Amino acid sequence: MLKISELSARVAGKELLKGINLEVNAGEVHAIMGPNGSGKSTLAQALAGREDYEITGGSVTFEGRDLLALPAEERARAGLFLGFQYPVEIPGVNNVYLLKAALNAKRKAAGEPEVDAFEFLALVKQKMKLMHMSEAFLTRGVNEGFSGGEKKRNEVLQMLVLEPKLAILDETDSGLDIDALKVVSTGVNSLRDPRRAVVLVTHYQRLLDYIVPDKVHVLAGGRILMSGDRSLALELERRGYDWVQGAQVA
Amino acid sequence: MSPVVQSSTAAKGSPALRSFEQQWFARAADPLSALRERAMERFLQLGLPSQHDESWRYTSLKKLSAQSYVDAPRAPSGGLQPTAQLCLLGEDERAATVLVVNGYPVLPQRMDLSINGIEINSLQEVSRADRRLMSSFLEPLSDGEIGRWRLLNTALFVDGLYLKVSTRVETPLVILHVATADHPGTAAHPRVIIDALPGSSATIIEHYVQDGPDTPLFNSASLISLERDSSIEHYRVFATDQRTNHLDSLEVRQARDSRCRQFTIVLGGGLTRCSLEAQLNEPGAELESYALLVGHEERHVDCANVVRHAAKHTQSRQIARTIASGTSRVVINSKVVVDAGAAGTESQQSCRGLLLSPSAEIDSRPQLEIHTDEVKCSHGATTGRLDPNMLFYMLSRGLDRETAQSLLIYAFLADVLTGMSVPSARHAIENALIPQLPDPQVLRKFR
Repeated sequence: MLKISELSARVAGKELLKGINLEVNAGEVHAIMGPNGSGKSTLAQALAGREDYEITGGSVTFEGRDLLALPAEERARAGLFLGFQYPVEIPGVNNVYLLKAALNAKRKAAGEPEVDAFEFLALVKQKMKLMHMSEAFLTRGVNEGFSGGEKKRNEVLQMLVLEPKLAILDETDSGLDIDALKVVSTGVNSLRDPRRAVVLVTHYQRLLDYIVPDKVHVLAGGRILMSGDRSLALELERRGYDWVQGAQVA
Repeated sequence: MSPVVQSSTAAKGSPALRSFEQQWFARAADPLSALRERAMERFLQLGLPSQHDESWRYTSLKKLSAQSYVDAPRAPSGGLQPTAQLCLLGEDERAATVLVVNGYPVLPQRMDLSINGIEINSLQEVSRADRRLMSSFLEPLSDGEIGRWRLLNTALFVDGLYLKVSTRVETPLVILHVATADHPGTAAHPRVIIDALPGSSATIIEHYVQDGPDTPLFNSASLISLERDSSIEHYRVFATDQRTNHLDSLEVRQARDSRCRQFTIVLGGGLTRCSLEAQLNEPGAELESYALLVGHEERHVDCANVVRHAAKHTQSRQIARTIASGTSRVVINSKVVVDAGAAGTESQQSCRGLLLSPSAEIDSRPQLEIHTDEVKCSHGATTGRLDPNMLFYMLSRGLDRETAQSLLIYAFLADVLTGMSVPSARHAIENALIPQLPDPQVLRKFR
């Protein structure tokens, strides 16, 4: 589904990705772990199409298409979703309006008619229930005045409504208490199916107790230093990131 | 009389000043002559404001003062067909309109005219009947440069409109100010006094449009006087075309527990300078002032506000949203003064600017001058382009760029638009606003 080869990128003149290789197949859940500043978020944002990130080398294909040739909005419509580490507050833009406009943009790209207003509301309400969100969030400005946890839940809500083929969740677990973590995990797990894939970018292995990954990668210094299965995350938890970096040097 | 303060000598003796002086000499005596004379004397002493004056720093009146002016006509030569006619109120509002041409009210010959519970009279009539009342309304709040043109208005206005609100009036009243002239080089000095008696309330919309291609230099001045427990929602909407130069000054005086909500909407004009001078004189007075200043093409907009907290426990909130595209320039000076003894004052100022073109300019200057302790005052100003993080967030959800940008512009204006409690006025203002923004087709979808 997603194939990243030798991807390098520069942000504000700094080389932050230095040749990333990663392949994600339909039905898989991958976890990308790594210390702060390792390039995890850069990778997530670069895949979503952030314009001020300069791709300096390599290629990315998404379902056989050249992802890097597409602007951000077309990547989204093609089925890629980025859950932001820091969801942006947009006062004055209604949460439900954005959600509907996003869904309709995707449907239009797929040649489907606009969503029926009643069906849409029923769908959103059902997903909100799953995310333990009050319906009051519908009419508020996008993320406006939301707590950290509410913002993350709102990200997952958007994901559930848009049903992307590939969801990249950038530290969706950070700042969540254990109850919120369970709710968010339930949301993500409800989307798991053989046709979709999820990439979890996370700092801690805690999230992986609830969303069990098929593969775990360790990113540091803009490169994937090590890949493995679930047990790699547990090993990291025990031995710390220094261990990976040390092992690499050796 | 105080000695000459820093006069703007450059403008002194300008053709404009000389022609105003001539108009003054040609005026017939009336019950207000003494007051008018003082105003004119002061005006001539100080001269026209120049860019050396604090609140005029970004606005040059050079071109304007190089011309000379004669009085604008009392009525248009033909019938009236205001070109920028915005139907500001729909039928649902059952609103009434009072027509004022170049400052002269067009009223039926009746002494007791009242529309929807608002008593309406001409200033000539009121000054004959109650000179003292009139004088109290015409004395300026301050001698500052912000009200310089107001002095000229006081000296030269021939007639104007007096509105007395004595009950709780449900339906809004529109004052349709029409600017019209047969040739260039005329000036008009419209004056409006809104007198809200204790416990009364009303919504009043002053709407400036023009008839025909030539318009006078408009030097309008309005006053809202709010007595105890009264409440006024006031709009001034500037919608003339790019050839009109408009200097407008609004004074607000507030007594105990009065509430004023004021909207200043600039959607037109070549040069529009609008000032607000408010004085919260007694405890419990509350002012909310909203400004929506739209710079479009070559327009120059300059808005100067001074809100003075002169009593304990008064509140003010100023929200300004400015947008500039093309080669336009938008200036907002907003100042809050808290007098000694005005403890318990609460004030907020928020000026946000949105630049939509590289050749446009926005200058925002919120200021605070506090002479006492125990106050809660905040101010903030930001100016920039559309936030790239917000834009990326929306693009990453699949919205096309045009829609995302338009949504952000609309959201930017929402703080002012959603504050309006007359839906049809808001609707009409949006209708006039949208064509001046990028992607009007897309913007219309959000309404």
